[in-house]
Amino acid sequence: MLPPILTPFRETDADRFDRIKAAHLLNRAAFGGTDQQIQRVVELGPQKSVDWLVDFYDVGIDEVDPADGADLSGLDGYPTRFADLRKLLAGKTEEQRKELQMRLRRANGQAMRQIVQWWIGRMIRGPHPLQEKLTLFWHGHFTTSARDERLAELMWRQNDLLRRYAAGNFAQLLSAISRDPAMLDYLNNTQNRKAHPNENFAREVMELFTLGIGNYAERDVTEAARAFTGWSHDGTDYRFNSFNHDRGVKQFLGQTGDFNGQDILDIILRQPACGRYIAARLLNFFVMENPPAEAVQALGELLWQSNYELRPVLKTLFCGKLFYSPEAIGRQIKSPVQLLVGTAHQLQLPAPAAQFVRYALEQMGQVPLDPPNVKGWPGGKQWISTNSLLQRYNLMSELAGKTAFEDCADQAAAVRRFVDRLIGRPVDDAKLRELSDALGRVPARQRSARLAQWIVVMPEYQLC
Amino acid sequence: MLNQPITRRRFVGRGLALLAATPSIPSFLALTADQLAVAAAEPGAAKNSDLPVLVVLQLAGGNDALSMIIPYGDDAYHRARPTLGRAARDVLKLDDTIGLNPNLTGLKNLLEQKHLAIVQGVGYPNPSRSHFRSMDVWQSAQPQTEHPLSGWLGRYFDQTCGGEPDPHVGLAIGQSLPLAMSGGRVTPLALENPDRYRYRGPDPQRFEALNQLPRNSDEANANQSALQFITRTAIDAQRSSRRIRDLAGGISSRNGYPATQLGQQLRTVAAMICGNLGSRVYYVTLGGFDTHVQQQGRHDALMRQLGESIEAFWKDLSSAREAERVMMMTFSEFGRRVSQNASGGTDHGAAAGLFLIGPKLPAAIFNPHPSLTDLDQGDLRWQVDFRSVYATLLEKWLKTPSAPILGGRWPMVNL
Repeated sequence: MLPPILTPFRETDADRFDRIKAAHLLNRAAFGGTDQQIQRVVELGPQKSVDWLVDFYDVGIDEVDPADGADLSGLDGYPTRFADLRKLLAGKTEEQRKELQMRLRRANGQAMRQIVQWWIGRMIRGPHPLQEKLTLFWHGHFTTSARDERLAELMWRQNDLLRRYAAGNFAQLLSAISRDPAMLDYLNNTQNRKAHPNENFAREVMELFTLGIGNYAERDVTEAARAFTGWSHDGTDYRFNSFNHDRGVKQFLGQTGDFNGQDILDIILRQPACGRYIAARLLNFFVMENPPAEAVQALGELLWQSNYELRPVLKTLFCGKLFYSPEAIGRQIKSPVQLLVGTAHQLQLPAPAAQFVRYALEQMGQVPLDPPNVKGWPGGKQWISTNSLLQRYNLMSELAGKTAFEDCADQAAAVRRFVDRLIGRPVDDAKLRELSDALGRVPARQRSARLAQWIVVMPEYQLC
Repeated sequence: MLNQPITRRRFVGRGLALLAATPSIPSFLALTADQLAVAAAEPGAAKNSDLPVLVVLQLAGGNDALSMIIPYGDDAYHRARPTLGRAARDVLKLDDTIGLNPNLTGLKNLLEQKHLAIVQGVGYPNPSRSHFRSMDVWQSAQPQTEHPLSGWLGRYFDQTCGGEPDPHVGLAIGQSLPLAMSGGRVTPLALENPDRYRYRGPDPQRFEALNQLPRNSDEANANQSALQFITRTAIDAQRSSRRIRDLAGGISSRNGYPATQLGQQLRTVAAMICGNLGSRVYYVTLGGFDTHVQQQGRHDALMRQLGESIEAFWKDLSSAREAERVMMMTFSEFGRRVSQNASGGTDHGAAAGLFLIGPKLPAAIFNPHPSLTDLDQGDLRWQVDFRSVYATLLEKWLKTPSAPILGGRWPMVNL
């Protein structure tokens, strides 16, 4: 049984599914909407719009269009499997090896930047914005950093893995990511061996990926670490190294057996706390910070009972009354990615240059593939400091300066139009008047760009 | 000097007109709330340039303090660290039991000059081995609170800053503000690069108008609302921008710093202290301490960076005659497991040693090293609660009652 706050929002005469709510849905389940998209969502109504957003095919880019995807051609000619790399290095002098390794490092660094650039581009123009938003969500959840993973190919594969499972089944996603080479590298599971277990992955899989603190003990971490011993990869694919695996009996979350890593994941998934933890993370990312306990409880149960199918949970979440409540609308601080992608998308700007994208994300504090640590980006008020806010203002006004010309002869109407397009919520009348008055002093040809620049440096625009 | 503080609301009300009329930031903005409070409380009292300063240096990732303050005289150490362990001849000996990492020569000098003290086995009951949880505990000093909203330094600002909150009271070097500095009333400054710490959008004169607090704002909810929070931060950013950049002009003239991340961060801090920004607390972070794998080389490099940077900072402050009013504390969210792991690294641990660096610190080594055999799940047991260190800094250095900030009384670390 869903609590009333999660039952579907139904339009009444007093409470319409208006442009504010439509823009809200597009802000949260996508990266903001254009004028036409918002209008279309109003016409479709919440249910059909949510279906349109959530019902994409669970496929990675490689299955949709092998010609699409990040340009990794800089890596052509370099081997990815460790065995091939060893062969290539064999018989070379020390100097030649160093030379080769340096070239490889450079090629990988370049390829990493290509992935980010391609991904941001896909978010801006993407046919399935929620798939990309969920991919970003899972990237922040199952973090892996390009700083620790030198093989760009593996980061690319992980990115596409997250895309493929984005709205599919969480249990499958967990199993896949736990065998993902980039993840195995990032959390040192490739060094997790029977003789001396390395606990890094075992700890984070419970603390950050599935259960949260308080739902396991220290002992469970050391025991789980033993079960994951031998989980490794060969440079491209998961490999189980039975020589390094501890086949002994483990005690884990109250159960005893000669568990392997998959057994551990299965036991974790059987804990109702896992459903609640993932539900809380989804609510926090898509709806509000500190969501009501009853919402976490109910969505967690729904996820658990549906064997971790994500779509029913996402649809409930995006259709529910809580999502359209005043406590949710306009209260989220945009992440730097949301800010950048949303500005480009909502103003329908030409794709920003690679250099600008890279610099802007660095300065605002969120470079995809480079999270601050395994917990991902903290979000919320943490996005904002005096430092980061100045960078957000400067970079977004630079970007908005490229806004195409449109007629702003009627100042007041132009202000209303732009505020509606970019903020989509009521703004203090006094500020609207300020903007309108100021616009009168700007030459006609520059008005649309200037107006967009002013709006992106308003506190209201930092929220969605 | 103004006789009474100008309130934020009055400032905002007049801000646009003021900024439009004068090219420079009005002079009263140069005063910090501290000065105003001190001036109000103690007529003729200390100038800003006399007030004590605390520099907090966070070693993020879990510093292996056993490789920083090395218990080389204990056999148990060598048993637990068959390859990571350091021979007696390789450490900078402090006594028969402990020595410093060989890369910390600068810090050994400071210790010999009575400018550096070591507190060992610092931690807290039921330690968390999670980076994030334990970092929250250290930064909030509220181990019982699951999702702490304020930090110990943030509550210090709240307690001591009279009048309207002034963001200059604290400065974090970095893109964002750490939890430790977050308070209820005051949001201190964060600064990554002084050159970029300015508004570059079109029409700077319009900044104030676009970023003013809503007139009919509900004061009670002022700190709750994200919109209020962002608006206040925008105003603070604009207010502090010119001042910071002016002082940053002094950075290039400060010499002797290594070209490392920490070295350059401390160089910026020195410029702000010597230029009298007025901050009571500076917060600096050095990352990279999560050494699960192949620890030695990485940790040694971090130690070298730490030692050289602090040494340069201290020399600089001393020659500028500012060292007398500066105290530094290092900390990390936890130490690491006593036994090394199979990957030439160490896993998450618990209690750990830390450094205090200041003008007059008679007891170089405050307490003996904790036992390496009587362990808590393989980790050192704590001997000194970290809140005792905080309480000592708050009471003895910043001269403020610690109990309201730390939620109770903690025994002083008697230095």
